[in-house]
Amino acid sequence: MRKTFSARHNALFSSTELSWGAYALTFSVFLLLIRLAAPNFFLQVCAPIFRSADYLTAETQRFFASFSDTASLALANGNLLEQNNALINENQTLIQKTASLEALLGSATDETAKRAGEILAGVVARPPESPYDVLVLAQGSQAGVAIGQEAYGAGGVPIGVVSSVTSDFSRVTLFSSWGMDVHGWIGSATLPLTIQGVGGGSLIASISRAANIAVGDIVSVPGPGALPIGKVVRIDSDPSSPSVVLRIMPILNPFSITWVVLRDSGAMFGNALRSATSTQL
Amino acid sequence: MIRPLLVLLSFISVIFLPWLVTIVLVLVVATLEPLLPFAIGIFADTLYYHTASSSYPRYALLGIGVTVAVLFVRSQLRTSIIRR
Repeated sequence: MRKTFSARHNALFSSTELSWGAYALTFSVFLLLIRLAAPNFFLQVCAPIFRSADYLTAETQRFFASFSDTASLALANGNLLEQNNALINENQTLIQKTASLEALLGSATDETAKRAGEILAGVVARPPESPYDVLVLAQGSQAGVAIGQEAYGAGGVPIGVVSSVTSDFSRVTLFSSWGMDVHGWIGSATLPLTIQGVGGGSLIASISRAANIAVGDIVSVPGPGALPIGKVVRIDSDPSSPSVVLRIMPILNPFSITWVVLRDSGAMFGNALRSATSTQL
Repeated sequence: MIRPLLVLLSFISVIFLPWLVTIVLVLVVATLEPLLPFAIGIFADTLYYHTASSSYPRYALLGIGVTVAVLFVRSQLRTSIIRR
């Protein structure tokens, strides 16, 4: 029986399919023999190839490193975030400043903002940084600030009187300062009374029991008309006395005033200032 | 014509491309040329082998292993009933 040879079943040595692999193997063995026989010659031949490979590898790594340098990217990102936060804070500050100025002066079209004789001053120090019931303003005599001028807070609320002035700064003694006496009114009937400062942002006033003052009544002082400065929060009554003592809370918190408007309102508050013991000039 | 190009590219990759790329390329080309892993292993050891780094030619041995595995798989595929 004749036995035929089938190349399909001899996959290990199929010359038609292993030719290029065999060539490659022959080439590799040839190079190996060269290295074993003449290692110095082999390295001299391969040295330029190795150098070019090193150069290519270095350039490739540097190229991809420019995309994968996460440390520098994170640092740059952090710096941008800090700058963004700083700009946000600055923006908020400007918005708050604008709101404060509009509350003091009205909008740009408001005629009250154009009134002459008003001096806008920022508060440099307020209680507790400054002495109690005293505001330090960033405007002085160079801006036209004079002793006796009245200080108005947001909404045109009177808050005190200028008690001392330097060239660039001034101090406002609040109505709540100890010994400060201001004549004003209370209630819708505008009953006259004398408002006394007792320090720490508190005001008191004494009025007849028959006036029927209730908690929540508004206390006003002279200005252009009657300007509210506080409201009654407590009434101390002594049965043996014909009068009651009113505890008055200022409308504006002196600890949170940031901007004031100074305006000359005559000698009325200047006289009140001279009776204040803690702000004698 | 693609086979000689793939073989040539495999040799070039040993020198210029990362070793992972070389391994993947040789494994792919080995399905067409089973002796190529062995040849590439010898070529890599010829270039980079040094007694200080290893006591045996690891690339050549690895190439022999891959070549034997590929040839075994090919022989099983060709003698199976699936191809008949």
